[in-house]
Amino acid sequence: MDQPLVTGFPELFGVPQEVYRFLRYLPTALAEGQGDRPFVALAGNPDELRRWLVEPPGGLQWIEIEGLLDDLEAWAPGTRSTSQAPLDIVLTEPAAEFANLYRLVDVCATRDLRVTIPAAPGFLKAVKLAASLRLPIRLLPGQPTPGVLAELTESLEFYLHGPMVETPVEFFHSLLATACGADRGSLWMILEEDPAGFLRYDREGRPKLPRSGGFGSVEIFAEAFVENRLKSLLEQGAECANCPWQQVCRGYFKWPDPAYSCAGVKRLFSLIEAAADEMKQDLASIEEQPDLIGEDRP
Amino acid sequence: MTGKVFSVILLPTSECNVACDYCFEHKESHRLSSVLVPLLTRRLLDHLEHEAIEECEVYWQGGEAMIMGPAWFVEAGTLMDSAAAARGRHFTHYLQTNLISYSPAWNDVLRTMFGGSLGTSMDYPNVHRRLFKGGAEAYTELWTRRLQEARAAGIEVGVIAVLHQASLDAGPERFYRYFADDLGLNNFQVNTPFPGGPASKVEGGFHLDNDELAKFLAGLFDVWMERGYASGVALGPFDALVHHFTGAPARLPCIWKENCSNQFISVDSKGTVAQCDCWVTSYPESFYGNLFREPDLTRMLHTSPARRDFVDRPKYLVEHEDCLSCRYLSICHGGCPVRTYSALGTMLAKDPYCEVYKAVFGRAEMHALRLLRGRIGFNRTRS
Repeated sequence: MDQPLVTGFPELFGVPQEVYRFLRYLPTALAEGQGDRPFVALAGNPDELRRWLVEPPGGLQWIEIEGLLDDLEAWAPGTRSTSQAPLDIVLTEPAAEFANLYRLVDVCATRDLRVTIPAAPGFLKAVKLAASLRLPIRLLPGQPTPGVLAELTESLEFYLHGPMVETPVEFFHSLLATACGADRGSLWMILEEDPAGFLRYDREGRPKLPRSGGFGSVEIFAEAFVENRLKSLLEQGAECANCPWQQVCRGYFKWPDPAYSCAGVKRLFSLIEAAADEMKQDLASIEEQPDLIGEDRP
Repeated sequence: MTGKVFSVILLPTSECNVACDYCFEHKESHRLSSVLVPLLTRRLLDHLEHEAIEECEVYWQGGEAMIMGPAWFVEAGTLMDSAAAARGRHFTHYLQTNLISYSPAWNDVLRTMFGGSLGTSMDYPNVHRRLFKGGAEAYTELWTRRLQEARAAGIEVGVIAVLHQASLDAGPERFYRYFADDLGLNNFQVNTPFPGGPASKVEGGFHLDNDELAKFLAGLFDVWMERGYASGVALGPFDALVHHFTGAPARLPCIWKENCSNQFISVDSKGTVAQCDCWVTSYPESFYGNLFREPDLTRMLHTSPARRDFVDRPKYLVEHEDCLSCRYLSICHGGCPVRTYSALGTMLAKDPYCEVYKAVFGRAEMHALRLLRGRIGFNRTRS
């Protein structure tokens, strides 16, 4: 595989990408004993969070936390612990939880933090506040409804043109980079949902596919899952065959429902490409502009 | 260590040697006894240790801090610094004074404890800062003399100016000229006024029209950019805003922090703990507790119902005000709780200076854009 396994978040955390080949996401009970083998710890309660912050084993790459944002005291160890373990805060109901992102102000002074936001109705509020708190964002689009697509479009506009946005908003950020010529991998990889790079386990130790129920042989097929899936879609005559974004999407939006219509998603891709073209033109015009000295300097 | 910095606004006395019209502090003749400094220090260091914080900035002010005398500061500073070092911590001291009782006797402690600098206050024109005997004119004359003496001794002086109606009437050009040219300062800042004290006394004569204030500040921003920016004059908070909008590291003032409750506390001479000096001197209902009576500052901060109101304020504002749709949310977060409380009687509302701040942010954004464009041209000619 000649593309990087991981983009965005692991780069932000400054950990070599090689570490993440087959990175496993493990519930706390399963993660004990991982030692130096790379893994992401899934913490679902304050005790689990404290456990990984206080005594992080060498292999811990980051801690994924879900459902604790409302618990003020849960975050205290995150502000005091001297370990550098980064945190990925997953919102479950972004429209209801967004204001609690202020709980993280103290924590982000001490360690790297990212907010993962599922694109559920009202998620834009969470995007705006997380960006205002300078928190990197991973937006999980899934198979967006028309209403959510409208919010995604508004979020993209906010990411592209909001003067206060300083941190990456994935997946927009990597798609924009790709449209500008960078190789950031497929959308599956950008969003850390490709089982070839990121494999999740449930509490019983069974590997799971993203946005779907787990199945026992995921590990066997993990590396080929995305490509096999795309091949199957193409064989079934899915719209992916003629999609100009196939190379980066790799059928992401056709999972789990292969009948999902990508019309709205394609408009979103078009907007990102248009923004990339605009950026390229702006950069080219700066090269061609006459000297600005004495003209615009205050 | 976590790399966090904690700040304490420490009021060794609420006594004052002048009689400014707009002072909101409740003045008492009470001073922090040297005997209590070790206990105060221990409480602070315990808290730093609990929170894994290495550095604590101590902002000494009053009342009038210089009333304590230089010898008192030498003793307190030595004790605090050695106790901190013994526990692997560090205090950095800053002094805010009205300068009226400055004399060369202060120079040694200013150099050793305060890094050779101090902060003071003066308005233009000065109509509200007064001596007990002699009024505003005598105050200005004495303060100016003290300023010159301190600077002649090599002390770096930063000045805070509180705006009032006469400042607005004088206009930004004359205002800037007074501080930068007449006084020769290269470091000063402007603060918006607020009444302090009980909310019912809000309309106490220091209310400024927001449009007029916004126009003045925008004009002052322009004057500074034209005359001061390139020549190294620091004018707060404009300089921090320009840094922010040009992508440089910026330390914005406390009124625009994500949540000031995470950043600092204030402690008065009796050990009273509150959010900042404005609260500790004016609003008993907002006290967090007492540092001398309660053994655990960390616990006090975590359990105080009064502090919980501060912690929850930004969360409340994005849910109930229009802050979330504001393009400047990331550098404002609803503004200052005490300015809000003193004007409205509640802190659960956005800062009444919201529109003024927006005007200033907009000006900063415009000037920063020009600077960035200028840099592109500059880089092109160099390459």
